[in-house]
Amino acid sequence: MSSELDRRRLLGLACAGLGTCLLRRGAAAEPVVGATVPGDEIPAREASWYRSLGERRVECQLCPRACQVADAETGGCGVRENRRGVYHTLVWGAACAVHVDPIEKKPFFHVLPGQRALSYATAGCNVECKFCQNWEISQFRAEQVKAVYLPPEALAKAARQAGAPLLSATYSEPVVFWEYVRDAAVAGRRLGVRSTVVSNGYIQEKPLREVLPLLTAVKVDLKAFREKFYRDLVRGELGPVLKALEIIRGAGVWLEIVVLLIPTLNDSEAEVRDLARWVAGTLGHEVPVHFTRFHPTYRLTNLPATPVATLDRAWAIARAEGLQFAYVGNVPGHAGEKTVCPGCGEVLIERVGFRVLSNRLRDGTCPSCGRAVPGVWA
Amino acid sequence: MSEPLSRRELLAVVGAGVVGAMSAGATPVPGRRGTVGVARLGGAADGAGPSIEVARQAIGSALAAATGEASGTGAARRLFAANDTVGIKLNCLGGPRMSPRPVLVEALAALLGEAGIPPERIVVFDRSSRELGRAGFAIRRSGGPFLCFGIDNDFDREPSSHGAIGSCFARLVSTTCTALVSFGVVKDHDLAGVSAGLKNWYGVIHNPNKYHDSNCDPYVADVVSHPFVRGKLRLTVLDGGVAQCHGGPAYRPDATWPLGMVAVATDPVAIDAWAWKVIDEERARRGLPRLAEARRAPRFIATAARYGLGVGDPAAVKEVPA
Repeated sequence: MSSELDRRRLLGLACAGLGTCLLRRGAAAEPVVGATVPGDEIPAREASWYRSLGERRVECQLCPRACQVADAETGGCGVRENRRGVYHTLVWGAACAVHVDPIEKKPFFHVLPGQRALSYATAGCNVECKFCQNWEISQFRAEQVKAVYLPPEALAKAARQAGAPLLSATYSEPVVFWEYVRDAAVAGRRLGVRSTVVSNGYIQEKPLREVLPLLTAVKVDLKAFREKFYRDLVRGELGPVLKALEIIRGAGVWLEIVVLLIPTLNDSEAEVRDLARWVAGTLGHEVPVHFTRFHPTYRLTNLPATPVATLDRAWAIARAEGLQFAYVGNVPGHAGEKTVCPGCGEVLIERVGFRVLSNRLRDGTCPSCGRAVPGVWA
Repeated sequence: MSEPLSRRELLAVVGAGVVGAMSAGATPVPGRRGTVGVARLGGAADGAGPSIEVARQAIGSALAAATGEASGTGAARRLFAANDTVGIKLNCLGGPRMSPRPVLVEALAALLGEAGIPPERIVVFDRSSRELGRAGFAIRRSGGPFLCFGIDNDFDREPSSHGAIGSCFARLVSTTCTALVSFGVVKDHDLAGVSAGLKNWYGVIHNPNKYHDSNCDPYVADVVSHPFVRGKLRLTVLDGGVAQCHGGPAYRPDATWPLGMVAVATDPVAIDAWAWKVIDEERARRGLPRLAEARRAPRFIATAARYGLGVGDPAAVKEVPA
């Protein structure tokens, strides 16, 4: 369903809006906008969130790992580097994946249904999920991945010209390219393009709060509801993710949650119930939660795909716990793809996969009972 | 105190043996566990290095001392088969002042040549061609006394899990080379404690940044005990002309001193334990806390020893002068 922008088209999109062709920015060594180059040929920029520890050492203040990084070393994400005591992001403007996707693919089910999002990513990630679907970009360092040089203005213009009202930072982990996300959101606003983020939510409070006002919606992958899972399979922590969810919700930015159910690892009835109860009780009944199907990949190839019955059970538990918008994903045609009015039970939005078949919402309300349905509808 | 091998470790040992046996023509690796051969060799902080003859003599005699063979060439003949493809992994992260000196690498290649390895089957490599070039190495994929180029992005397409790591290995290591040499330096490392021979192997996986927790332990040992490395690793050489006791892995001139040695061992753990001792002694001379007191003891050395890779107790390592 996604359409990858080929290099030529991307170059055209990027240049046309700038009013000049093959614009070079700053130093002669800087790559041409829209050019595909090895990641390490894109100029590094000083990172926004870190502090000096003396002796040319720094502490990253972007994600809860808080890496302490010596001179000439990179942080755990592989895309931030200490250069003589100054911490740099190596991926600002270094888009290694650019596609125009349906917004349902993120998935956002309550954000401009049927619209498209210009979706972008850079190399790197701050965790290492053994089941990562995009490990070929997320688990590699900046210099190991080819990138298209797309500064924020070019990204926003490309979205406009592709007819996408949304930008979406996704695929790998936007936290590790947070400065790029921030600047793209600012550039997008100038052109009427809104920004969304698809993240693991493993981020410190300060950078999260600084960028949230620029965002329209955030989707967080809540990978499990047990610390052990996060420790053993993610190399991260659950606690900071839950805190980030509360901050996002509290900031009034639209939030949706995805839970990838993996057979035997995070799919127990008790864990799903705990998770649903926490979301309903802490974040609110109206936060959409998508239970999605796992397929074996990366370092977790010894488990089968999630049985549909497991997803059915999780879907039922979530609704029983009071979640008004529980969904099932990666099972095209499943009844759990529909948005149903929590007031009268009317089917409001019908979908198959990432395609919207019908949308009966009227100004964000149910046409049958008039109940307002939360989301970003216009 | 040794611990019994887990099933995984046992499999790794068996796997390593299989890989080693597959290296056609290789004779049992000589050398002595826990032994490090050292030869005097001046530093090059002033830019003036030894001649190729002096370097060749130093490496050869240190190798002879490490293995108990009569000569370096004789030892090399026992370590490497004429049909081996030998990969020499350098550590050039520290730039021109804290990397193995080209003249020493040329000397080792010459020694291998004397042992019957043709130039086109000696591959000097590091993480990137850019780092090699910065350290003074000419990049070449054909011709010359040895080939020399970076891994750059030439990794296996699928990750391989071993112990706590899951990584794509450089194809040079997994596929091309039948024998490996670690050629590092003697320096401090901010997280691992010591960066010498073992830590150098972080440069052959695609994601070393994921394995810096817990002073890189057990990750360094897990990389080296992976059959791709363990089954092929024959030799470790350290250019200790100038060593660094603090502030690594980047080059920091105020923390360097002229150690004036080249060290060689077939025991990859013993030579790291030796480097640890040397660094700690210099730190003590300067009034710096020892690495353990600085909370970065290179614990991966003991883990590597526990895996059966060599002798990890610095007090048990025997330094044999050439």
